[in-house]
Amino acid sequence: MNSNTTPSAAPPVARLIEAFNRLPGVGPKSAQRLTYFMIRMPREEAEALAEALLSVKDRIVLCSICLNITESPECSVCTNARRDRTRICVVEEPLDVLAIERTRAYAGLYHVLHGSISPVNGIGADQLKIRELLDRLRDESVTELILATNPNLEGEATSMYLQRLISPLGIKITRLARGLSSGADLEYADEMTLANALEGRSEIVIDREASAG
Amino acid sequence: MRHLDLGEADRLLWLLTPQRGVLRATARGARKPGSKLGGHIDLLCYVKLSIREGRDLHGVSQADTVDAFRGMRTDIGRVSRGLYMAELAQQVSVEDAPAPAVFRLLVNGLGWMATTESPDALIRWYVLRLLTITGFMPEFGSCAECGNVLEPGDHVFSAERGGLVCPACRSQGSDVLHPASLGTIKVLRHLARSDYPAVAALSVGEEERRQIERILRAHASTVLDRGVRSSAFLDEIRDWPEAGPVPGGLHRGS
Repeated sequence: MNSNTTPSAAPPVARLIEAFNRLPGVGPKSAQRLTYFMIRMPREEAEALAEALLSVKDRIVLCSICLNITESPECSVCTNARRDRTRICVVEEPLDVLAIERTRAYAGLYHVLHGSISPVNGIGADQLKIRELLDRLRDESVTELILATNPNLEGEATSMYLQRLISPLGIKITRLARGLSSGADLEYADEMTLANALEGRSEIVIDREASAG
Repeated sequence: MRHLDLGEADRLLWLLTPQRGVLRATARGARKPGSKLGGHIDLLCYVKLSIREGRDLHGVSQADTVDAFRGMRTDIGRVSRGLYMAELAQQVSVEDAPAPAVFRLLVNGLGWMATTESPDALIRWYVLRLLTITGFMPEFGSCAECGNVLEPGDHVFSAERGGLVCPACRSQGSDVLHPASLGTIKVLRHLARSDYPAVAALSVGEEERRQIERILRAHASTVLDRGVRSSAFLDEIRDWPEAGPVPGGLHRGS
């Protein structure tokens, strides 16, 4: 956004609007709303926000092993001796690690690619942290690689790409199940989701002893 | 054709439509797992949409998949070619200008990409057909410089002059010239006048294939006046063998 869109704003205000406008998902109107909210904010809150922003820039680094965002050279997952070191779950973004951790269903390690292959946006495999993943896999203790990229065309392309690179090594490669989400209506499901759900259907096993008891 | 994440869980879409060419629209909540839109609006999907007109951006209110080209989506080689086809279609289309022929060509092309035995032949045919329906078909019958009908000879292709150039005219100008053997010219003429199913089984030698690709790429980038971003990924994947280790991959002992 340039200053022409906020002709009457004082220069510091226009600068802040422009700074907000550069954030992903923040349009000109939202940038203006955020700026005028900040103007009315008490000084100590504004200082706390500025301090938090600078601290993120000063103290945050990428984990030297999994490339997740961390405050120390190695993140808390990679240094945790109780994590299963034979499994690596590959995700696109650091936020995906948080989402999987919230499930408490996974105790292995992670690898963050920092994106997915997006040819139409000019993002190729060499712009992702794939070389670092291959270096980790040379360690023979890894027996399973879980591909947890997003279930869309670019995420799938990234998974297929990794699979071709890694499969000759003989490591078990799995991916997250595809199918219907909990609470969804079948009639609104798209054909790909339904087809994937049918392909990945599982047998209902009845525990006869438990039901008799 | 292309998408960007927007806000908390929305998606900004670049759509190719027959009636209005390229449209930009937002799909609210499309990134949430339970979204009614999310599964329908992935890249390279043929979808029926209800669009709510907006001042700056339109909004998608309903979506229903017509064809997701599943046979293409499970093969990285086909995906890379499909993305290349879509990017080319987007580049020749503009916002709010009808593009029924480009739309139909892309839908048919992606449908064939899901099933064809010869995806590279499809790409060659598609690029030439796209250039033809948008008015940029190269001249293969006569010299693009002097207009004389081409007799068998040592011809070259000039993207700047828009077609084949005869031996007498090749030294005029300082443009980049691409070799075009008799076999290459025959294949190009056949591609230009045939529908895809008729050229699917056409056998093309390695040298002719290379010449045709250089010619079509040079012509497309001259006409479009910019590069095609997805071509780098297409080239990388195309060099991979059908099966087994790939360049830069891991193998036992590496």
